[in-house]
Amino acid sequence: MSRALRRFGRVTEPLAPGPPTADGPPELVRSLQLRHVDAGSCNGCELEIVSAFGPVYDAERFGARLVASPRHADGVLVTGPVTQNMAVPLLRTVEATPRPRVVIAVGDCARDCGVFAGGYGVVGAVGDVVEVDTSIPGCPPHPTAIVEALRGITRR
Amino acid sequence: MNAGTLVVTGAVLGLGAGIAGVALPHRSRVTGAAVLLWGACALEGVAAVHVLATGHAVVLHSSTILPLTGVEVMLSPLGAFFVLLVALVAVPATLHGIGYARHGLASRTAACVFPIFVTSLLLVPTAGSVATFMVLWELMALTSLLLVLVGHGRRAEARSAASWYAVLTQGGAALILIAWLVLAAHSGGQSFAAMGHHARHLAPAVRGLVFVLALIGFGSKAGVVPFHVWLPKAHPEAPSPVSALMSGAMVALGVYGIVLVGDALLGGGPVWWWLAVLALGAVSALFGSLHAASSTDVKRLLAYSTTDNVGLALLALGASGLFAATRHPVLASLGLVATLVLMLNHAAVKGALFLAAGSVQMATGSSDLDRLGGLLRRMPQTGALFLVAAAAITGLPPLNGFIGEWLLFQSLLHGAATGNTATDVAVPLAVAALALTAGLTVVAFVKAVGIGFLGRPRSQGADEAVEVPVTMRLAVGLLVAVCVVFGVVPALELPAVERAVRTAVPGVGSALLAHGVDVQLVGLRGVLAPTELAGAMAVAVVGVMVLRRSLSRRPTARVVDAWGCGRQLQTARMQYTATSFAEPVQRVFDDVLRPVQDLDVTHVAESRYVIEAVTFHNAVDDAIERGLYRPVVRVVRRCGQAARALQPGSVHRYLGYGLGALVIVLAALAMIG
Repeated sequence: MSRALRRFGRVTEPLAPGPPTADGPPELVRSLQLRHVDAGSCNGCELEIVSAFGPVYDAERFGARLVASPRHADGVLVTGPVTQNMAVPLLRTVEATPRPRVVIAVGDCARDCGVFAGGYGVVGAVGDVVEVDTSIPGCPPHPTAIVEALRGITRR
Repeated sequence: MNAGTLVVTGAVLGLGAGIAGVALPHRSRVTGAAVLLWGACALEGVAAVHVLATGHAVVLHSSTILPLTGVEVMLSPLGAFFVLLVALVAVPATLHGIGYARHGLASRTAACVFPIFVTSLLLVPTAGSVATFMVLWELMALTSLLLVLVGHGRRAEARSAASWYAVLTQGGAALILIAWLVLAAHSGGQSFAAMGHHARHLAPAVRGLVFVLALIGFGSKAGVVPFHVWLPKAHPEAPSPVSALMSGAMVALGVYGIVLVGDALLGGGPVWWWLAVLALGAVSALFGSLHAASSTDVKRLLAYSTTDNVGLALLALGASGLFAATRHPVLASLGLVATLVLMLNHAAVKGALFLAAGSVQMATGSSDLDRLGGLLRRMPQTGALFLVAAAAITGLPPLNGFIGEWLLFQSLLHGAATGNTATDVAVPLAVAALALTAGLTVVAFVKAVGIGFLGRPRSQGADEAVEVPVTMRLAVGLLVAVCVVFGVVPALELPAVERAVRTAVPGVGSALLAHGVDVQLVGLRGVLAPTELAGAMAVAVVGVMVLRRSLSRRPTARVVDAWGCGRQLQTARMQYTATSFAEPVQRVFDDVLRPVQDLDVTHVAESRYVIEAVTFHNAVDDAIERGLYRPVVRVVRRCGQAARALQPGSVHRYLGYGLGALVIVLAALAMIG
């Protein structure tokens, strides 16, 4: 087993050089627990989030974790344009998160509805429903971009 | 005024309260009767305290009150202890009854019968002869039966409950009467004093018969498995003050009867008697706590918990008898002390719980836990009192339930290795049963408090509940105060218990010594310092609160809705219910509980993949009722149906019966002659 591990070596992507830029409340430095809300995404961003928290990009190295309830979370990770059915649950989730908290809009749809803009089931971008602190562009955003944004908050 | 006069005056006052219930106008009926009853309780209580203080029994005799036999009163210290126990529940229950009156106690019948019921409860332990005892015992049974029936106009279940209660209690009374008659016939007198002299020298078979009959007879009153089936039926139907008295006091008198016959009159017996008591107690404790853990009606839960607590008392009594039979007088005395302490604590706790449940029922219109919820905010005082009483019954220090269970555990653990085979096998099993019972009791009462008082209201009645009148809160508060005081300073109750035990059962050693506030076992290793314990707990709680306040730098708390997974529609029906809380217990013990579950899925006509409706039905019936009593009821009913054929309504047939009977009688006479 140990030999196999040694042979396999390191698979994680190398760290980006230098400390990342700081944006986020000081209480969330070093540890950031996140609740993910799919507000109506095509699931492209979900795949990238899974990848960002997987063994290759391993965002947990930098103190960010996904948790199962907003009651355990410091922030909310929102993907997709906000659909009519998800507007109230999104609001409640953000409301249920203890302060101080951050809301991170992941992907172009979350920022400005992307290709879904003007759709009949779409209420608007995440910023139209709740206050957004950080947004990550891309359709979908690369895992490195997600990890970079999270490092900006955890400063690790 | 000497103690005898007090007893008689108290009885007269109590009966006067009954008359006041009939004679006074509607408005002042319940209050007037209550004031007279408090007088009766006070007088009987003072007499009892006098007897306990001096250690001398009060003996009275009157040949004019009852024809043929006369009335004999003998208030022994054991009886005096139970008089005090009854008075302890009766005073708050009567106070609670004033506020509760419009829920069934204001009618003329109820206002007359309730005081007579209380008086008979007070007087049963003062009886000094078989005739006096049975008259009072039957008075108690009949008046309580009438009180169970009080609500029959509103609920049909009351009638069925009353039938069950009537059959079981009268069957028990018949067995008790047979036991008394056998004992009286062999000891040449019906007074308890005469019996006490002769009973020790009777043949073992006669003594065994008397004991078994008395155990079953009094056991049916005490709600011991398998005679407990009336409890969960009668308690939800009876008005709450009556439930409190029936569960707190009347059931304790069943235990009094067993102690009276087994220990005081027969003077102890062979090992098998007490193994039977121990087994009955263990089974009752387990069965009662299991059903309490799975009940969803709060009064039904309390009724099963009564069976559980009586089981614990019998466990202690059985252990005590076992130790006496194997010549361990100190342990025997400790067991008997534990029995009485458990009964006294149960009276205070269960009285408080039943009265609080009555307050809840009055405020919300329901006693079904699945229709309650959110009451701690709506009825803060009743809720807090219920919470303390629930903590007391689960045996948490520094409350009185802990003292009783500590004494019971001490007697069992010290008796685990006495060298006698029967004891060595039975006692560890009893400890195991006790441990499981304690755990299940916690489940039951966490459920009662958590589902009933926390969360959101599950019905409109619970939503609109308001706090009950101050007299009703005061009544519950009095009993809860007793729980706290006896838990913190058990030295207040233990000397009285010890005195009752020592005089009732000559020959058992003194097992307890109360040094100021500590309780020390004599001849055994064991010290309990409940006051220090309570003080340490108080200091710890205050310390944690102060530390938390001084260390925490958090901003002020924000009040938000309960997290419901972000659902748009969140109703009170989405909470944990009593049924779902009890489901794991029900699943683990389904061999004993035998729940009846029914899942019915209706599909849409067009496709099996689309469901139109799902109905789920879950009921936990009493397995003993179903397996033991239902077949008997069925056979009796069938016999009744068959006997109807004899009465077709035809005059000719009836004339034929007359002729036939005459011929048979003549033939019989001719054969004898």
